[in-house]
Amino acid sequence: MNEQATQGIVAVRQNMDYCSSCAVCSTLCPYEALKKDAETGKITLDVTKCQVCGLCYANCPARVIDILYYDLDSLLAYLEKARQETASDTLIIMCRGSAPDIEGVAELFGTSSFIPLLVPCVGRIPDEVYLKALLMGINNINVLACDVDYCRFERGSTTTGRKIIALNLLLDQLGYGRDIITLKRHSLKVKVDANLCIACGNCVFFCPYDAAELKSPGGITFDLSACRGCGLCVAMCPAIALELENWEQERISQLINRFSLEVEPPKILVFRCQWASFPPLNGQPAPNVRFIDLPCASRIDRFHILEAFQKGVDGVMIAACSEDDCKQEKASGRAQHSVANLGERLGQIGFKERLHFCTVSPRYPEELDKELEQFSQRIKELGKGG
Amino acid sequence: MIVTTQKPLDEVLGFIAPYSNVLIAGCDGCTQPPRGLRESKTLSQLLELAGRLQNKGFNFKVTTVAKQCDNYLAASILKPQMDDVEAVLSLACGIGVQTLAEVFPEIPIFPAQNTHFMGAEEREAGILEERCAGCGDCLLAVTGGICPIARCSKGLLSGACGGSKDGKCELSADRDCAWCLIYEQLKKQNKLHLLKESRPPRDYQLSGWRVTT
Repeated sequence: MNEQATQGIVAVRQNMDYCSSCAVCSTLCPYEALKKDAETGKITLDVTKCQVCGLCYANCPARVIDILYYDLDSLLAYLEKARQETASDTLIIMCRGSAPDIEGVAELFGTSSFIPLLVPCVGRIPDEVYLKALLMGINNINVLACDVDYCRFERGSTTTGRKIIALNLLLDQLGYGRDIITLKRHSLKVKVDANLCIACGNCVFFCPYDAAELKSPGGITFDLSACRGCGLCVAMCPAIALELENWEQERISQLINRFSLEVEPPKILVFRCQWASFPPLNGQPAPNVRFIDLPCASRIDRFHILEAFQKGVDGVMIAACSEDDCKQEKASGRAQHSVANLGERLGQIGFKERLHFCTVSPRYPEELDKELEQFSQRIKELGKGG
Repeated sequence: MIVTTQKPLDEVLGFIAPYSNVLIAGCDGCTQPPRGLRESKTLSQLLELAGRLQNKGFNFKVTTVAKQCDNYLAASILKPQMDDVEAVLSLACGIGVQTLAEVFPEIPIFPAQNTHFMGAEEREAGILEERCAGCGDCLLAVTGGICPIARCSKGLLSGACGGSKDGKCELSADRDCAWCLIYEQLKKQNKLHLLKESRPPRDYQLSGWRVTT
């Protein structure tokens, strides 16, 4: 990570005055960012390894950890506001890794009226949020977590499962009943249209998880238990025969269409890996910027980039994780390569400067803002696109 | 596979500039990745953007053919789509383009790709190299599966020349000496004696221009 960024705001901090070195955080941390020093017994934080999952924040018994996104105060403020605005007494806490869109979530839980809370990992929700939600008059709390082996933060889903069992036991003793918090696990995976598949085998080469197999005769099959939903195969399929649940080509096209109409010039569209930057709760983008979250930067489809330009967007930015931070086996490197490839072709028609690929991390929240500011400036100088 | 690369977009734009209704025909055949439906769509989007800068509007139809070099397949897929089409932009190799030109003699067919050779790709490096020269008299059984005609700069048939150095060709330090590769391969297979056997002269007529099935 560059030096400049490390000097700026950091998303996770320890307040060592309260730390009793219990090591709950270092036991939970999936990335060895928090470690117990063998000599001093103190817990140390190596921010460069932190992926801002928030497991340490949610589970530290002494509240030593400060976290910038989705901390207790902002979660509670969000719930208070949503409770007033929504007539529903049902809360659905969703992990962005496995939650379909609002309609999809409604279908999964069989309810159309609920308070949605979308977070980068349900494992980061502290106990207090569940308890305070009940105090606010919310009577049903549903949690949508990723399937255990689909969890981008490795331990987020299992930790949530245990937390909910413990909370339900506690709530039962308090007289709220045993099943007040329910947990559903889900994941979003590839879909094949066998009628469109031309059996070229590109997906076999690109899949980071060896989920695709091409047999001759027999064609393509996907081992869905191995698929982890990065979307790289979908973006690379020469026959447009693959789709990723919730990130279907048509759905993204609709978003591009809507955003291109509502955004102010100079129009900037950012395709953002949902692990590269976390949007604040209740945050609003600048009037000339819109974000489309992707499951991984590798789902970036050149079709969508070009479509944005066709719809009058002046600049397209792709915000990805670095290869080292990538939750999908370095698939972001493939994304970088394919964006560079498209950039070279766009260069032939004078559009190259209007496409920008950058790598950012939620651990340095200013990174995305800086990239966006520089890119906006460049687009402003370039003026109106084709 | 047959190796092709995209022509510069301004060249392609020059081909289709006089026309408005253009069919972009992909080919799902030999290249990897195939220049199929996705590539046809991408090209139509790029050309539309380029055309817009020149105040030129196109009406593109995009489609793909399983193998453009098969005149029956090409005709059956494309004929029903040819109403109002003034020109076709083909993403196939030179063979596919020529097949379409035969199937639709009244309509101009333009290549969107340059065709290089029959080759294979080192995918991680993204490098494509010629592997077969289509000589009609395959030698691979005695050369350890490495073709000296396609892969030796000089197409030598009886061993390395004096320009082979450290396993590389004298013409380019990037290029492996095919005869060094053949030697190493035969050594692994304990078949170095093959190099000492004399072979009758090659029949160059076999490379020919026409064969019958």
